[in-house]
Amino acid sequence: MAAAASYKDRQFLAVIGDEDSVTGLLLAGIGHVTDPPDAQRNFLVVDSKTETSEIERAFQTYTQERKDIAVVLINQHVAERIRHSVDTFTDPFPAVLEIPSKDHPYDPEKDSVLKRVRRLFGE
Amino acid sequence: MSGAVGREPVFPTRQSLGLMKAKLKGAEVGHSLLKRKSEALTKRFREITRRIDEAKQKMGRVMQIAAFSLAEVSYAVGGDIGYQIQESAKQARFRVRAKHENVSGVYLPQFESYTEDSVNDFGLTGLGKGGQQIQRCRETYARAVETLVELASLQTAFLILDEVIKVVNRRVNAIEHVIIPRTENTIKYINSELDELDREEFYRLKKVSNKKQRDNAAADAEILAAREKAAEKAAQNGGAPQTEEPEAVDVLGEQEDNDVIF
Amino acid sequence: MEGLFFNVNGGYVEGIVRGYRNSLLTGQNYSNLTQCESIDDVKLQLGPSYGDFLAALPPNPSTSALAGKMTDKLVSEFRYLIAQSTGSTAKFLEYLTYGYMIDNIALLITGTLHERDTRELLERCHPLGWFETLPVLCVATNIEELYNSVLIETPLAPYFKGSLSHQDLDELNIEIVRNTLYKNYLEDFFNFVSTHPDFAGSPTQDIMSEILQFEADRRSINITLNSFGTELSKQERRKLYPEFGKLYPEGSLMLSRAEDVEGVALAVSAVADYKAFFDAVGLSQGGSGMGGMGSGPADGKSLEDLFYQKEMDMSKLVFTRQFTPAVVYGWMKLKEQEIRNVTWISECIAQNQKERIGNFISVF
Repeated sequence: MAAAASYKDRQFLAVIGDEDSVTGLLLAGIGHVTDPPDAQRNFLVVDSKTETSEIERAFQTYTQERKDIAVVLINQHVAERIRHSVDTFTDPFPAVLEIPSKDHPYDPEKDSVLKRVRRLFGE
Repeated sequence: MSGAVGREPVFPTRQSLGLMKAKLKGAEVGHSLLKRKSEALTKRFREITRRIDEAKQKMGRVMQIAAFSLAEVSYAVGGDIGYQIQESAKQARFRVRAKHENVSGVYLPQFESYTEDSVNDFGLTGLGKGGQQIQRCRETYARAVETLVELASLQTAFLILDEVIKVVNRRVNAIEHVIIPRTENTIKYINSELDELDREEFYRLKKVSNKKQRDNAAADAEILAAREKAAEKAAQNGGAPQTEEPEAVDVLGEQEDNDVIF
Repeated sequence: MEGLFFNVNGGYVEGIVRGYRNSLLTGQNYSNLTQCESIDDVKLQLGPSYGDFLAALPPNPSTSALAGKMTDKLVSEFRYLIAQSTGSTAKFLEYLTYGYMIDNIALLITGTLHERDTRELLERCHPLGWFETLPVLCVATNIEELYNSVLIETPLAPYFKGSLSHQDLDELNIEIVRNTLYKNYLEDFFNFVSTHPDFAGSPTQDIMSEILQFEADRRSINITLNSFGTELSKQERRKLYPEFGKLYPEGSLMLSRAEDVEGVALAVSAVADYKAFFDAVGLSQGGSGMGGMGSGPADGKSLEDLFYQKEMDMSKLVFTRQFTPAVVYGWMKLKEQEIRNVTWISECIAQNQKERIGNFISVF
């Protein structure tokens, strides 16, 4: 299977989210900074001042460029801001997971995967 | 021949008839196998879908609890630890490993979480106060992330299965609606062509035999006429023994001809 | 005797603080708050005591924004006090801000170590720990420059000087730096209130030495408990214990040798208060997570909660004394606890976790 090689060395999680979500997930120990000089973090804190293009870029980096990321966690309200990219990203790797944040409870209606699930069963 | 499906471009010979029959047989076996595979996958798929739905709901709850434990931390520490946490993250402690599971020949990846116990970036965070809450928060979040990883496996499996099922169903449909009818058509075509050839051959032979009969009849009449003429001549000349001999030879020849025809 | 002249310089400040104290939320207020259905309701309930400060908040603000605004009020009140005070009282109030400064400096050190733009960090600094020369520290691009700037520009220089060199900032975990500074700060503060001619032998010394001793003991105990399972060695740990307090020196020595929670409990058993705390939460805590999440002791209180409770009680008692700037300390702690309480309550409301909403410390 061709995919076999592509997921073998994926071992990190990446997160794009608000400060609290990122802090919590980092506490769980998912944070990873690659070796210098190009110290790349696998997390991005999004606040009201963060540009959408920056989120977009981080999302592209985590999903396309980095080959060591297995799961991308993204706050749902952040995903809303780049909904198009999230919806069009359909590769199995890395898995893109929309997670709720503290201030934005989870809304299954907006989840791109759940939307597909619902559509498949014609609900 | 129904024009929608068409047939294979083959010469209608008995050999290709044999080939087509073997092909039809193969297609039918393949169809039933693929159908079964597709059913197995779909079963799995539905199960996964159900579990995704459940897991997503569960995730909502788990993340809420986790977020709450973070609230406890900020209550205990009495300040903001976010920045410090972000800066002190260096090595991932929580990692995932991918294994795969074979479902009807499809490799579904499964993420398995594990912790690098040697890595401990935040060991001293909250040393002065709030350390216990931070510790608990870390555990809570680690559990939450495990749930997330589980969900990620399901989701990946969902995407892969979705793709595979589509491909398999496409194949099943192709076999069912294109290959089998086409092969059947081809067989029908070959059969009808062969029948046609048979009939033509039969007709041709009949025609040949008719013609032969007609020719024979004409030849008989000629011979008869010749004989009568000869008899008349003989009667006129009176040389009877002369005519007897060629007649005997002719009779032999005629019998031989008949044998050859039928 | 001290009452004779205190009011010349400190009377106004004390009066103001007593006024502030009256605006602290009471048990009645808290029970109203816990009945709220949304953050907007909370905001409404807080109206009488916080008024203008909350007016700028958008509808249904986040809990952190709410806490931020409440802190703003505390800060502006404190700034008013410090502007009104003179002499030893002013010095005393400045001492109160050093704790926050330590946090701010630690933040900047973290930023500099990771080569971030420290200017962004300024807005994350605690406003109480703000001093005029703080932005100057952002100019530093490496840790040595920062170290020198800290020595020159900040009132914290003495805390750095004796125990930390600029190499230490590189190698030591920032938490150790922070706790070393804090230890030095507490010792200095303790020294200040016990030896300053205006305070020695006054109620201020009485109150503050008790409070600071408690603070020192609390830190020692916490550091010990939190260091289990980390790479912090016993020697290093011992260096972080403030060298005064009820536990010092025997208790501290025992703490420095403690290897588990039982060891800590044994070390503190000489002091009745702490012994009572450890008994209350049960000795088996620590390993299985203390308090909360329903897994802890029945009353859901963790050791930290009990410490906070004790701190609040002491802060409350401060107000029974007169002729001392220590009331400012008491008021500040009470106010901070109040902000934490409100944050907790609104967090519970926002996240629909009502069952634990009562887990705050109401003093009045």
